[in-house]
Amino acid sequence: MITVSGLIEALLWGVADGCIYILLATGLNLIFGVMKLVNFAHGQLLMIGAYIAFTVTTALGLNAYLAILVAMGAVAVIGVGLERFTFRRVLGTDKLNEIFVSLGLIYVFENAAVLLWGNTTHQIASPFQGLLSLGQISIDYNRLLAILVVIVILIALFLLLKKTKIGLAMRATSQKSNASMLMGVNIEKVYILTFALGAALAGAAGALYGIIFNFNPTIGALPTIKAFAIIIIGGLGSIPGAVVGGLLYGIAENTAVYFLGGIWRDAIAFTLLIIVLVIRPTGIFGEKGE
Amino acid sequence: MQKKLIVAVVAAIVIIAVVIAGWQLTQVPSPEARAIKIGLVACYEKAEGQDMDRAAKLAVKEINDAGGVYVAEWHTNVQIELVIADTEDDTPGKAVDPVTRAVTEDQVDLLIGGYTSAGTLADQVVAIDERVPYIITGASSSLVTRRGPQANYGGLPEGDPLRIDDEEGMSYMFHYCTTTADYSKTVVNFFAEAMKPLLDSTYEFDSSRNLRLAILYRDDAFGKGVAADSKSLIESNDLPIDIVAERSYPATATSFQTDLTAIKAAKPDAVYVVDFIANTAEIIKEGQRDVGLNTVYIAVECCEDPAYYTLLGEYGDKQLLESKFAPYAGPPFYLESIETYVTNYQEEYDTIPGMMGADTYDAFYIAKDAIERAGTVDKAAVRAAIESCAIEQMLIITETGKIEFSTGTDYHEIAPVTFIEQLVWNEDVGECRSVIVYPATAEGVGELKQTDFVLPDGYEHGSP
Repeated sequence: MITVSGLIEALLWGVADGCIYILLATGLNLIFGVMKLVNFAHGQLLMIGAYIAFTVTTALGLNAYLAILVAMGAVAVIGVGLERFTFRRVLGTDKLNEIFVSLGLIYVFENAAVLLWGNTTHQIASPFQGLLSLGQISIDYNRLLAILVVIVILIALFLLLKKTKIGLAMRATSQKSNASMLMGVNIEKVYILTFALGAALAGAAGALYGIIFNFNPTIGALPTIKAFAIIIIGGLGSIPGAVVGGLLYGIAENTAVYFLGGIWRDAIAFTLLIIVLVIRPTGIFGEKGE
Repeated sequence: MQKKLIVAVVAAIVIIAVVIAGWQLTQVPSPEARAIKIGLVACYEKAEGQDMDRAAKLAVKEINDAGGVYVAEWHTNVQIELVIADTEDDTPGKAVDPVTRAVTEDQVDLLIGGYTSAGTLADQVVAIDERVPYIITGASSSLVTRRGPQANYGGLPEGDPLRIDDEEGMSYMFHYCTTTADYSKTVVNFFAEAMKPLLDSTYEFDSSRNLRLAILYRDDAFGKGVAADSKSLIESNDLPIDIVAERSYPATATSFQTDLTAIKAAKPDAVYVVDFIANTAEIIKEGQRDVGLNTVYIAVECCEDPAYYTLLGEYGDKQLLESKFAPYAGPPFYLESIETYVTNYQEEYDTIPGMMGADTYDAFYIAKDAIERAGTVDKAAVRAAIESCAIEQMLIITETGKIEFSTGTDYHEIAPVTFIEQLVWNEDVGECRSVIVYPATAEGVGELKQTDFVLPDGYEHGSP
């Protein structure tokens, strides 16, 4: 039975789900935009972020939303290690090397998570339970908070990229890395910071994911695929593209489920991807040459 | 006379001594005696597989500590050696290789286990081809024993790739588990016999009002099988139940709020959730927490596992679980064997056992009994002995109180009794615990019901 309130709720679910995708896709896009690196293990950073947030909330009793900051910091450090010890070694060589390193990392992260946390399913306990009801429409507090958290993170990211020297260096490197280097930009430092930032966004996405959904060591794969779909919809390397793409994707998924049933979730979302690519092969905000 | 008597006595003693010596000679353990290799087919990536592993090891330890298995043709007791066939996530692509290795390289005498229907339908082909007795303790699809000629190919049309024409090979398959039809029957009967009368009396509904049921299931053989069986049972038995919403989702789905929103709009009295542990718990939580669908949720027996209770938390309070093994509903338990098993399992592993392990545990004793009665590890003889099994029920209740495999069209299946548990939040342990609420009695057990079913706090019934 289709109702207006049900449809509005489905749209709200779509926005909330989309927000988590946005964080993941933005991180992926940032890394691709600056480093031209495709990291298929990005979803595993989300998974690690969820486990770190879970660990600090259960072991230290930290508020789940404060745990997001811990997850961001810890996954950023892991990101630095990844960039320094794996991707830097293959960056600029054959693209296949980068792809296979990231594919290998998927298994390394998944197995490490099984060893550290076991392979049972967990969820992060949130102090905010319950529904906000407006007439017949209701949405749970955690999804509302997830939307707010993502907005705050995106504003902070925007300010970092537009108002700081390192942001300028990142943007310059993403446009012309050689010219940036000649202008005195420390490319290696930019790469490290970019990867750390992208990883931190995945860590935040993971903590939010763990607050809203169950998670286990294998949850990273599907969000990675969705994040890739989103950055293709939005345009490779484009942060606004990732935001719009993430929202579109989340809304498409949820309205498809509402009108047609759950089995259409992925089919409709990927149909959207095909339509965007047919109409605009570079994605909504993409530029030629990316 | 006395001399003759002495000669006769001496002669008798000599004859007896010779007979005894001869008998003793034949009782010397055969040099062929060796450990019995039993392959455990389990998905170690999942909580259910780990439970099966623990249960199997417990059964093997108990049997071996008690002297092992007596094999008459070897004139001795031998130990059981467990061979692990780890099917990882039990997808068909991953299930076949480990079973092949167990059969061809490790040369197991018998296989026990299996988890998903899809995985088992794939890996059992190895055992069918190689004539290895396989006691399947998972897989709720009846096809695992009905896909051959004995059960008229389980109704599969000619040319269907699932059909097996190898009649002899199929005879090595035994299904020691409930099927989707078994538990669908219990669930729909519960709604018709226990929940509808309670709704009618509580809300003064007209008795002609049917119970409004929504079904939400994963879009695979398991989910579709349960949905189809439930609808068929409602229709064929003319039960007072209307299916007001039926939604399915891909097995890869991780969020269900939109499906639940659509179900909420259909105003059901109860939601029947068909999935494994993590998704079922997520659906019940999302339904109450995110969508405000404050109704009765019923889950199926594969969720009878400690992980399910942990994941559900307080959202499990007053919700329902169809099961055939209730390790949380005691002590005291409805069978003494359950009490012993739960105690031993907890002592050994410091956790409460799950349902998948219970079937597995019993299967090792079925295997022991069969080998001892066969007096050999010859696979054909063991197969025949399993077919004639008639030992007392153990952890799984059966309709006759005995473990017996049918040879009719419900080929090589047992007749299990399933029941409905209601979960109740327990502040002391910080988790739900369960009580059996339906049916009142069971053959071979007597009284089964521990308390009456009650509606959850804040329950909202469907359309009047």
